[in-house]
Amino acid sequence: MVVNTETIAGKVITQNLGVVGGSTVRAKHIGKDIGALFKNIGGGELKAYTELLEESRSEAIARMVSDAAARGANAIVNVRFATSAVTAGASELFAYGTAVTVE
Amino acid sequence: MRSIDARVSTLTVSLLLSVLLFSGVAMAQADEAPKEDSPLILILCLGPFLLISLGAAAFGIIWALFYPIMFLYGVIFSERNLNRRMSGLVLREGSSIEHFGKDPLSTLRGNHIVGGIKETGLVYASVVFAPSHWQLLIAWINQIFGGRIDVIHRVISVGRAEAKQRLREQAQADGWDDVLNVRIDTAEMTPASNPKGTKAVEVFAYGTGIKFG
Repeated sequence: MVVNTETIAGKVITQNLGVVGGSTVRAKHIGKDIGALFKNIGGGELKAYTELLEESRSEAIARMVSDAAARGANAIVNVRFATSAVTAGASELFAYGTAVTVE
Repeated sequence: MRSIDARVSTLTVSLLLSVLLFSGVAMAQADEAPKEDSPLILILCLGPFLLISLGAAAFGIIWALFYPIMFLYGVIFSERNLNRRMSGLVLREGSSIEHFGKDPLSTLRGNHIVGGIKETGLVYASVVFAPSHWQLLIAWINQIFGGRIDVIHRVISVGRAEAKQRLREQAQADGWDDVLNVRIDTAEMTPASNPKGTKAVEVFAYGTGIKFG
């Protein structure tokens, strides 16, 4: 169970297992990148980059969840996301939260 | 991921090594027989650089051809596309409000909910949005006079509304009844081929979906 609220409604947090996180750096191949560059001139949505961020976000969440599972947690509360542009065209995504056990 | 990284680094190292090796061979041959021409070795030495410069030249030609076309497209259509997207958004927003009975998104923590909550989970949606170069030019001219820069403001608000609407649609697709503790993040995203150029904006909305018991 992954939520970004501090508690899970209807459940009691029994144990705090610390901060867990997952991050990933991804980029699109150069063809899509050049396409996005030309789309950028005309303005509007850059679909290639939306896709890229969607992929990297689910990967970061999956890594965070496996980190929590390794600690024996069954839920992650208060999840936050951070994005940073490490280099142009690549994005670093970081998802973090508190691993807890709930009943 | 790791395997791809390893492959790329191996490829790069072997390319560099082969260039070094061939230049060494060429130099040795040049020492031995200065009169003799060896076009094959010359091609092998210059090959990688030639390929890179050819690629750059091809990109330059494509850029020179397409930039004016895309710029004109921006001049004519960027405002119209923005308005069309905005009116589409109003319709989509109306249909999802009809589905939920109210606007599902809220920044509340959920303490106000009296009845039981059966299930919770994370919902997120994002969009990467960019102003056209024409709009940036107008913004740049506006910057000289100062004050409000409505062009860019409109682009960003459409991007943000789009992200919020996608969050609503995602919540609807996942079957949540309500979305609590919604956060909206904005980050910069730059195309790799033009690092100093225009910034695109990434809007990311996320929240906790709940199902009433």
